[in-house]
Amino acid sequence: MTTEDADRASDPYETWRQLYEANERAWTSALEQAMNSPEFNESSGKMLETMLAAQKSVRESMRTYLETMNVPTREDIARLGELVIGIEEKIDQLADRLDGIEERTRPKSEGSAKAKRPAKSVG
Amino acid sequence: MTTSAGMAWPGPDGVWSSNDRALEMARAVLGSIDAPVGLTPKELIWRKNKARLYRYLRTEPATHQTPIFLVLPLINRAYILDLRPGASFVEFLLSRGFDVFLIDWGSPGDEDRALDVTTLVTRYLPRAAKAIQRTTSSAEMTVLGYCIGGVLATCFAALYPACVRNLVLLTAPLDFADAGQFGQMTARGVFPVDRLTDTYPTVPGQVPDIGSKLLNPMANYVGTYRRLWERLGDPTFDVSGWQAMYRWVNDSVPFASAAFRQWIVEFYQENRLARDMLDMDGRPVRLEDIRCPVLNIAASRDQIAPRPTTSTVTQRVGSDDASEILIEGGHVGIVVGRTASQNLWPKVGDWLSSHD
Repeated sequence: MTTEDADRASDPYETWRQLYEANERAWTSALEQAMNSPEFNESSGKMLETMLAAQKSVRESMRTYLETMNVPTREDIARLGELVIGIEEKIDQLADRLDGIEERTRPKSEGSAKAKRPAKSVG
Repeated sequence: MTTSAGMAWPGPDGVWSSNDRALEMARAVLGSIDAPVGLTPKELIWRKNKARLYRYLRTEPATHQTPIFLVLPLINRAYILDLRPGASFVEFLLSRGFDVFLIDWGSPGDEDRALDVTTLVTRYLPRAAKAIQRTTSSAEMTVLGYCIGGVLATCFAALYPACVRNLVLLTAPLDFADAGQFGQMTARGVFPVDRLTDTYPTVPGQVPDIGSKLLNPMANYVGTYRRLWERLGDPTFDVSGWQAMYRWVNDSVPFASAAFRQWIVEFYQENRLARDMLDMDGRPVRLEDIRCPVLNIAASRDQIAPRPTTSTVTQRVGSDDASEILIEGGHVGIVVGRTASQNLWPKVGDWLSSHD
């Protein structure tokens, strides 16, 4: 046994690596087989569903608690955000309309001189 | 002293050298959170809600006429295409003389629960495209979509063909008839998509992340660290490159619940796009309406977008010029892996130059 071999043999992580390498293929194939089975998918779906039910119940309790304490909930804050997003969309729609008007009223020669290729509106 | 299996117990030297490497490994993993990524200089040219459209800065004017519009996936950070200097697809495109734009979808919040795929395709992408038209004075652009971004780009190209000069798809799953293990995991009656989207306004990024890691659990949960362990012993190993990639892999983004629901139900479960049944804002989205040149890039060992999901698009589009490049590798590896700069990028660059 060379010194290098001896060093490697005395390395605990090397031992772990050898163990992993010797078994990786077998573990991978066993896991693949298990995970490709309909039973696994069904069971993980049910597990996720149970976790979601628990999560939902926690969220509901927290919301009730915050409402009782007169503190804004996540939903209240999200609702404000939704209003802002709605306003932004309205502004975008107005800008689209203005663009349309501008495009229709722009002299044709100006449009073709500016664009490298004939411009067609996206929206 | 040996064990019954014939393996030697560690001596003190072995323990210390292994401990040093373990500490180095911990430092590499923990330090990845600050790994510098997305460093190519860019300017913000348009924004809507959380979405941002960036134009990458060039020192010299672009030599190609058609700008490139990069559409990124919804569940990953946008910096994958500009990971770090020397490993950046964006940097490559700039060096080839292209004007490059990228839409970063950002990270949705609870207020985005109603944001669906249709809204992104019909209200975000057209306006971002218009911003590109204004900035470049070019009416047409090459739309390049990666993964889910490729699906969005395809829908956009079908609905707004006037502004799409070329469509390039990078590992984009479009036909879910045989979607592999992901398809089985998300099947109707198995995956509780309604309860999930009803519980969370935004589906936590960990949900799709765990799903993709479970496609190859040994490699993703153990193999990553084993490879790092081995490579830390190599003096030429670039730790910062590993950290940048590790950061991206673990830096998942929440999925707005309406978009997630539509993605799972209409794409995975009902396969509406490939079956010509997809409507967006009352307009049919049909692959045959895509008549521009199409380049489909697929990965041979892709588990996230397996080959059957990426292989049919060139036959389904209405274009006379639809070609495909099949690259040996996985979903992410072909885009940013070591061989990407020698293999994929030059091929895409040549195709784009010939379709300018």
